[in-house]
Amino acid sequence: MTGGGRGRGVAAFMASRLAQAVVVIAAVATFVFVLIHMAPGDPFAAALDNPHVTESMRARWRAAYGLDRPLGEQYVRYIANLARGDLGWSFSMRRPVREVLGDALPNTLLLAGSALVLGFGAGIALAVVQARRPGSRADRTIGAVSMFFYTMPDFWLALMMVLIFAYWFPILPAAGAIDPVMHDYMGAGARGLDRVRHLVLPAVTLALLSAAGVARYQRAELLRVLPDDFVRTARAKGLPEHRILTRHVLRNALIPTVSLLGLSLPVLFTGAVFVERVFAWPGMGWVVLNAVATRDYPLVTAGVIIAAAIVTVASLATDLLYAVVDPRVQRH
Amino acid sequence: MTLSSLVGRTIGTPVAGLVFLAGLAGCGQSGRSTGTDGRGTVVISTAADADGLFPPLVRTTLGRAISQQLFEPLASIGDSLNVIGDAGFEPRLADRWDWSRDSLSIVFHLNPGARWHDGVPVRAADVKFTQHIYVDSALATPDASLFADIDSVSVRDSLTPVFWFKRRSPHEFYVAAAEMEIVPEHVYGKVATTALASSDLLRHPIGSGRFKFLRWTPGATIEIVSNDAHYRAPAKLDRVIWTIAPDFSAASARFLNGEADFLESIRPEMLTQVERAPNLKVVSTPGFRYGFLALNLQDPMRPGAPHRLFGDRALRRALTMAVDRGSIVRSVFDTLAVPGLGPMVHAMPTTDTTVAELPFDPARATRLLDSLGWRESSNGVRYRNGLPLEFTIVTPSSSKERGRLAVLLQDQFKRVGARVKVQTLEINTLMQQLAKRDFDAVMASWPMDANPAAVRQNWGSEAAHEKGSSNYTGYASARFDAQLDRAASATSLAVARPLFTQAYQTIIDDAPAVWLFEPDNVVGVQRRIHLAPLRVDAWWAHLADWSVPAGERIERDRVGMRTSSEKPAARGG
Repeated sequence: MTGGGRGRGVAAFMASRLAQAVVVIAAVATFVFVLIHMAPGDPFAAALDNPHVTESMRARWRAAYGLDRPLGEQYVRYIANLARGDLGWSFSMRRPVREVLGDALPNTLLLAGSALVLGFGAGIALAVVQARRPGSRADRTIGAVSMFFYTMPDFWLALMMVLIFAYWFPILPAAGAIDPVMHDYMGAGARGLDRVRHLVLPAVTLALLSAAGVARYQRAELLRVLPDDFVRTARAKGLPEHRILTRHVLRNALIPTVSLLGLSLPVLFTGAVFVERVFAWPGMGWVVLNAVATRDYPLVTAGVIIAAAIVTVASLATDLLYAVVDPRVQRH
Repeated sequence: MTLSSLVGRTIGTPVAGLVFLAGLAGCGQSGRSTGTDGRGTVVISTAADADGLFPPLVRTTLGRAISQQLFEPLASIGDSLNVIGDAGFEPRLADRWDWSRDSLSIVFHLNPGARWHDGVPVRAADVKFTQHIYVDSALATPDASLFADIDSVSVRDSLTPVFWFKRRSPHEFYVAAAEMEIVPEHVYGKVATTALASSDLLRHPIGSGRFKFLRWTPGATIEIVSNDAHYRAPAKLDRVIWTIAPDFSAASARFLNGEADFLESIRPEMLTQVERAPNLKVVSTPGFRYGFLALNLQDPMRPGAPHRLFGDRALRRALTMAVDRGSIVRSVFDTLAVPGLGPMVHAMPTTDTTVAELPFDPARATRLLDSLGWRESSNGVRYRNGLPLEFTIVTPSSSKERGRLAVLLQDQFKRVGARVKVQTLEINTLMQQLAKRDFDAVMASWPMDANPAAVRQNWGSEAAHEKGSSNYTGYASARFDAQLDRAASATSLAVARPLFTQAYQTIIDDAPAVWLFEPDNVVGVQRRIHLAPLRVDAWWAHLADWSVPAGERIERDRVGMRTSSEKPAARGG
């Protein structure tokens, strides 16, 4: 295939995947909109706890936000607004949804991104250690520890991390994204460090959970590639073992891990929901969980749409990354 | 390349990237030097964010706690919580007040030195505007019904608003002077009432209180600072910061490891831990909330018809007498709650704690059930006309304590032959069932209003027949209503107290609920914080008088004051 032909092929592939993404996001928006409206309660049901609030008052609030209209009408209005880029008004936060998510999304991306990098970095490194001497004590120990973290519920691990590192040995903050008092009085470096200190526990919690899976997966891939002919050839050429492992074996064994990277994003997003709650990390997880509890329809729907869009884009990016990692993909 | 360098390369790059990313996220604000003249900073660990800080629209406890630091009423209810006449009330925006001869109007005299946080003087027109806002149907404020007896507010001169009432009420001063936090017309009057609820102005409130708003990072922190230009006295603290941690474990860890100074709710399992810590202490005050097992007196399937079990007053009394409230309250709350009396709390000045309760008397309960025709069968369950004495208690999943109480009740009812199922429901589902009256019994609790007559909204006949009202048991008693009305119209506490006791006695005897518990307000605080008295209905009432003695200040107390011009009003994450 010529360079121009390959370029057209990539463009067609991108266009096709983008069209798929639009369909997926529209389906997700519809599905979530219907489901959340069918769930028991409404945004103003909690006001039942306030004896001063009468049913007529609640009816007035519902009418003010158009919740007294038929569901079909509400849906058409929502989609029309969505098409204009208006995500609606958050009942619980009393702010435009766009602003609420605009504050929360960067925090979640920082947390999930850090956890992804740390988790995959650590997982791959551990797998390399294991693959060098399969069956050794180091291999078995790492395998057992990986299995321990792999099977652990995320919220439980998060609570244990708080207990150990914020209470028994209080070396790290228990919650939040920054020191609420001292942050603004710190110099630029100290403020960066303050953010890292607050990021460590939630990011490491998520990273431990993903690293365990990555290590097991990557180890198996490395062991599958090690007996291949090209490895024997490299050894016959007298290349040092570490170079064979990092330059040749690891690169080939990384290809399936790239697909795992794409699959990990949704898992990280859902995992972040509970981890964000435990660590009071002001991200999407906290926002969406709170929105579900308060039946904040526009916020729930928009939160899920944003998450779906990110996962879809990440999936697309993964496909493109394949081409970088495995030149054979480009030829097809 | 060695193995360690390989691992270092694999992990080191992401970590460096992480430090870079985090550092990058922190850029954009210049560092400031730490001062040494601070008066103290209190960090309060709390579980939920505020829903707003604009008094007329606030619904959550946190929103109320903070907005009451920023905004002031004309007068404040005193620690005695008297709501009859003006005895015990403390001046706030109003220095003094005069009653008309017929008590149908009250003239307030504003403090001439009172200023809004932006420096504009507080004027009578602001009071008139506030009253208008509270009752404006376009804004639909949650507490609008409280002000139904206020006819209007007129402006005699710039410092003299006059409240006019439709009818006399012993509580009219309380409602006018203390239930409304005054808001500035020049700020909030710029926006049409219909657009006010969604206005960005509400995110940056401007009030007249001893604290002023600094910033609100949604889901993370809310920060207020002393208003040093306050006409009475600035706050004794520089700053108060609420840090929000939705998970209780994180909220309590923040308190236990010193990141926070105050935890507004200590659970029984934490008590020993806090008491053992040398730098922490527990402060307990009587509670202002009562919990109960509400019995649905109406048939969920046939509106208007009595419930097949709880429509029978004698059966309700028998079941109440089967419950050892003292033991189950101790089991669940340890020493942090007392058995409930009725739809009132011990701390109310109108409560007579010697009111006659239905006693714990299983033998009498058994005899009563026998006499009603409920015969025990071989499986231990009572039957009448072939139908079992069987019902379901629903309890919210959000309250561990109520779940445990329900299980203990299940066991106590079983001993007298009642088969009880416990169903735990997500709060929205539970609320929907309550609104539809679709339940047998529910574990519930109500916060008390300082005005004891407000109990009418939960237990009065009028609310019993209103769909979606908070009287979801459907209890309706003309006798109770009449007694409550008489008590509510008493013009002195000495007269009101026995009248309220009569009304309470009626409802206790009718047993529309099993009155279970009154939880204490138990807070945890760092010892360096010197608290002012914690008012039972609002621990935050004297927050501006909390202090940190100079010799006990830590680094965060010494950072000093900052003005809003030094810092942005809002920021991300």
